[in-house]
Amino acid sequence: MRRCLECAKKEPDRPCVECQYFVQLSPLRRVPSPPVRVLLEDEHGRQYPARILVLNTTEFGLETEAPVPGRYVIRLQENLWVEVAGVPFKGKNNVHVFDILCVHRKQGTARRLSREEYQLLAGSAGELIQEISRHLPEHLQDLVREKLLAEVEKSELINALRVGKVMKYEGGRFRYLSGQADLDLPMEEAEKLMRQAIRQAEHRREVIISADGQKVFDLHGVPFDHRSGGLLAFDITEVIEKERKMHQQEMQAYREAIAAVTGGRLYLVNSGEMEKVISEGTELARGEVRQTHDIPEARRAMREALPVLDSRRQHAIALCLTEALANALKHAGGGCWQARQSGDIVRIIVQDRGPGIKTSELARATLMQHYSTKNSLGCGFTLMLYYADHLYLNTGPSGTALALDFGIKTGQDQ
Amino acid sequence: MLKVDVYVDRGVCRLVLNGELDVETVAQLQEVVGKVGEHTLEVDLSGVSFVDSTGLKSLLDISNDWRQKGGQMLILRPQPDVAEVMRLVGLDRLLAQNTAPGGEER
Repeated sequence: MRRCLECAKKEPDRPCVECQYFVQLSPLRRVPSPPVRVLLEDEHGRQYPARILVLNTTEFGLETEAPVPGRYVIRLQENLWVEVAGVPFKGKNNVHVFDILCVHRKQGTARRLSREEYQLLAGSAGELIQEISRHLPEHLQDLVREKLLAEVEKSELINALRVGKVMKYEGGRFRYLSGQADLDLPMEEAEKLMRQAIRQAEHRREVIISADGQKVFDLHGVPFDHRSGGLLAFDITEVIEKERKMHQQEMQAYREAIAAVTGGRLYLVNSGEMEKVISEGTELARGEVRQTHDIPEARRAMREALPVLDSRRQHAIALCLTEALANALKHAGGGCWQARQSGDIVRIIVQDRGPGIKTSELARATLMQHYSTKNSLGCGFTLMLYYADHLYLNTGPSGTALALDFGIKTGQDQ
Repeated sequence: MLKVDVYVDRGVCRLVLNGELDVETVAQLQEVVGKVGEHTLEVDLSGVSFVDSTGLKSLLDISNDWRQKGGQMLILRPQPDVAEVMRLVGLDRLLAQNTAPGGEER
């Protein structure tokens, strides 16, 4: 709201209709062309001519000489009148936003315009919903329309996207109905989806990445009958990007929290950092684990490759390798390991291609004693946290990598 | 590798384990335990150089099993490294009272 005022100062000549703070840019925002002429009537019966420049179901953007603030009645039809109140800080000169306070109809009053009323003013508006529900059984039409309208209105997603396209599919052809006409959809996939939806007579949804990998589309196929249907397409590239950023922030918060509670010993690292961790120093031994039998073998191979250590340290390293490998076997069906040495540090690395540890489970899986996502004693991680000096963990949908550092300098032993 | 020897004497079954008790060998221990009918089960770990969390879990399961049947299971003489791991995960309560790590009398 403040922004609208500021823009009024900065750009006094710009029409308010174009300002996004004036009447919010939502799918139900319409600019009738030409503007709809109406009369504002105040409580004393004084009348002011006005033009509806822009509207949605709860606001009008009006050009009028009527004083603002002030309450007025707009008669749209004999049995339909709307009470409005001018909002002084939204708009400038003789153009202002008028909030819809109450809609009076023969059947009662409401706080906003109904679909028909809205359409009456918005002209072609609501075509999407009309079109989608037209072929439904009659007794369902109103219900579905109402629900769709409510969904569209409250959908923050659609508001945030601001980009969508609605098409009708019939007899193998798409016809543009409404939305952003220049949205470049992957039509081949869209047609495949529509055919599926129509064949199975149910709503189908798919997220498609454009051929150049630059755009992500959320496609919905809604069947009307055995040969036609509607396609709703949203460009969700930005939303995906936002989600990715949120995930990064979330990971950062986890990193800090986990590093803090482990006294700076457990680090969640990204894949780039992990690459560095697993390539430092020189390789002592490596191997692969596909079945439980491979685990004692790995232990043996690692013991032979390790420098001479005191027995307690050697036991600790063998135990941690076993726990990490058992986890990889249990959650990912196997994995590979290597032992590396860099100065006074022996580093054990275990990598798998499993589904990863969910962020929500990460803290519990790594820190809580006896917690296990697969219902075992689950103390493996507790043991690793106890025995290793530093732990690096990278986990994601394409796998998990864990690196454990053990100081081997005499006297560094706990 | 794990070797399990069974000695039965006056209602007490003593299992003497030699080798490593881990994710690979727990099944062996469980198989032997499945045939034991005695009221008291003693598991001698003095010959076990390595126990991992899977091994610990199976010891815990056996102990719970025995307690449920009204009997008891005791762990005897774990080596120091193994005893430390048991203490870490809170399984030292399964140790027989009269044995300390290494099997020395307390």
